[in-house]
Amino acid sequence: MNKYLLTAGALLVLGTNAAFAHITLETQEAAVGSTYKAVLRVPHGCDGKATTAVRVQIPEGVIAVKPMPKPGWTLQTKKGKYEKSYQLYGQAVTDGVKEVDWSGGNLPDEFYDEFVFRATLTADLPVGQKLYFPVVQECGDAAERWIEIPAAGQDEDALETPAPGIKLTPKK
Amino acid sequence: MNAMLEFNKAFMARRRRGWAAGGLLAMIMGLMVMASTGHALAHAALIKTDPADGAVLAQAPAQFSLTFSEPVSPLVLTLVKPDGTPVALTSFRLSDQTVEIDNRQALKSGTHVLSWRVISADGHPVGGSLLFSIGAPSEPPAVSEAVDWPLRSAIWIGKILLYTGLFLGIGGAFALAWLAGNGRDGQRFVIAAILCGLAAAPMSLGFQGLDALGAPLSHLAQPVVWRTGLGTSFGWTVLAALIAFGLGLLSLAGPRALARTFALAAMAGVGAALAASGHASAAEPQWLTRPMVFLHGVGIAFWAGALAPLGLALKRQAAGAVAFLHRFSLAILPVVAVLAAAGIVLAVIQVQTPSALVGTAYGRLLLIKLALLVFLFTLAAVNRWRLTASAEAGATEVQRRLTRSISVEVLIVLAIFGIAAGWRFTPPPRALAIAAAQPVSVHIHALQAMADLSITPGHAGPVAASMIIMTGDFGPLDAKEVTLVLSKPDSGIEPMKRAATKPGDGTWRVDNLVIPVPGRWTVRIDILVSDFQIVKIEAPVDIRP
Repeated sequence: MNKYLLTAGALLVLGTNAAFAHITLETQEAAVGSTYKAVLRVPHGCDGKATTAVRVQIPEGVIAVKPMPKPGWTLQTKKGKYEKSYQLYGQAVTDGVKEVDWSGGNLPDEFYDEFVFRATLTADLPVGQKLYFPVVQECGDAAERWIEIPAAGQDEDALETPAPGIKLTPKK
Repeated sequence: MNAMLEFNKAFMARRRRGWAAGGLLAMIMGLMVMASTGHALAHAALIKTDPADGAVLAQAPAQFSLTFSEPVSPLVLTLVKPDGTPVALTSFRLSDQTVEIDNRQALKSGTHVLSWRVISADGHPVGGSLLFSIGAPSEPPAVSEAVDWPLRSAIWIGKILLYTGLFLGIGGAFALAWLAGNGRDGQRFVIAAILCGLAAAPMSLGFQGLDALGAPLSHLAQPVVWRTGLGTSFGWTVLAALIAFGLGLLSLAGPRALARTFALAAMAGVGAALAASGHASAAEPQWLTRPMVFLHGVGIAFWAGALAPLGLALKRQAAGAVAFLHRFSLAILPVVAVLAAAGIVLAVIQVQTPSALVGTAYGRLLLIKLALLVFLFTLAAVNRWRLTASAEAGATEVQRRLTRSISVEVLIVLAIFGIAAGWRFTPPPRALAIAAAQPVSVHIHALQAMADLSITPGHAGPVAASMIIMTGDFGPLDAKEVTLVLSKPDSGIEPMKRAATKPGDGTWRVDNLVIPVPGRWTVRIDILVSDFQIVKIEAPVDIRP
């Protein structure tokens, strides 16, 4: 019995370690054609240094992005043209937010925080595949880049600094 | 080619002087024509093999076939068994562009290597190997370069005979013309030595060709072998040696009035022949090494060449023997000084560090040569300062001792030729150092990006890495950051990550990198294309010990 407990404990520790190591999204699945609330979980700084900025790249097909302001952080967005035109409430949308930056803050390595934005996942996103939101975590002059996207057939767990992603499910 | 023309013009002028020169010229022209054909043709490329590279077969095939882009002629075909034993494959047929090779033996299961070396129409050897497995793949056998001992011996003996011709032959002719007065003692010996060299020179060219192509002695009759030999720098040595031998013979057999001129020209030919090729002449700085080799060679010819005629003259108590001895002993001191000085300069350039004297085969041969030289110098010094004066005064007993001593000297000289000919097979420490400093280079190509990486020097220890980063289709890629990651999982070495810097010449560099152990490393280059896009490409790279 003790053995089982130990094994379970070890698994738990290892499992949580893996989750703690990366920047991830809280909700790992979302339906296309719906509104998604993205909660970026930042578990640590860069090699012990405090996080001073978090920047997220918005992938193609994700529109109507509205980030949530954070006290102590300067919120900025970068806008640009989409590759194609999307329909939102009967209107054509051709440009919008392509990057969200929270900067000028100070999140020590020993603390945890979350960064939130809302967005619409357009209906033409490929169901069954993963959608990645590459994140650059800046800590003063150092940076961790959570931007690796697995190549076809590559195991995501093999990546050192994977981009946070969600699995796209069919439209409800 | 210009030098060749000059040579020819000079030769043309002398042509009228005798049939020997004319014959030689015809021979050289013939060799030149052989060498100059077929330059424009392309190299052969391997198109298809059966079995295919990496194939796993259920049972041993009855034959192998290699198809090339143009007709070829096989030089060496070897099958290396899984345990590493090489088997020469000698039974093959040529059908158009395909070489069909019979396999007459049962092969055990495991991975085999079929190693091939062929010659395409342009005379360029092309080589490669393919791996196939019977049953299941195993660890591929190591293909080691087997030493072709018969060919090595032939090259070695050829060299000794060539040295005999150049030093004892032409040197002897020079001594007869310039030192012996009217005496002709030793003329037969000298002529024999020149004929030795005359026979050995062209043969050496063929051996050289075989060696350059990696072909066995049995291929000596193939024209391509001779073309290849002539194409190497050794071709110039043979050319100069042949001219020198011709002049040497003319000085002995030609008009008496011109004997000294011919002998002097032949001596220059000795120096030129030696300076034209070989490890020492190839060393930098060329302006120093080539003249040093020239002087060293001429010095040896003067000294060694005079020994036999002088010894024989003394032995026979010929009329001019004493005068001969007198002239020789007057001239020998400055000659030996020049000879030794040139030798020391060359040795310092070649060996570089005292430890290489013991640590390399080249250095050990030099030590043996030096030991023989000490012995030779001792004998020569005793002759010069103890015996010469009384021998000149006419003491016959002393003259006999001198004769004996001279014959021992000749034997030592021959032994030294043997040692010097052995250098043909031992790269000098200088060349070893250059080889060790060569970088390893690897081209890593992926869809999104590619990199040319070179690690200098390509062996374990402190190195510097230089990278050129391009897009997958050879376009420019202005990366934001480049990181070099070296790992060796089989040795339990964790990845070493180093950020590269941009010195501003379009490359990325990592300095102060230390590769702790040799072997196969995995090198990965992380290229940050833009803020949110990274490309990681990797490849194995072999680091030399």
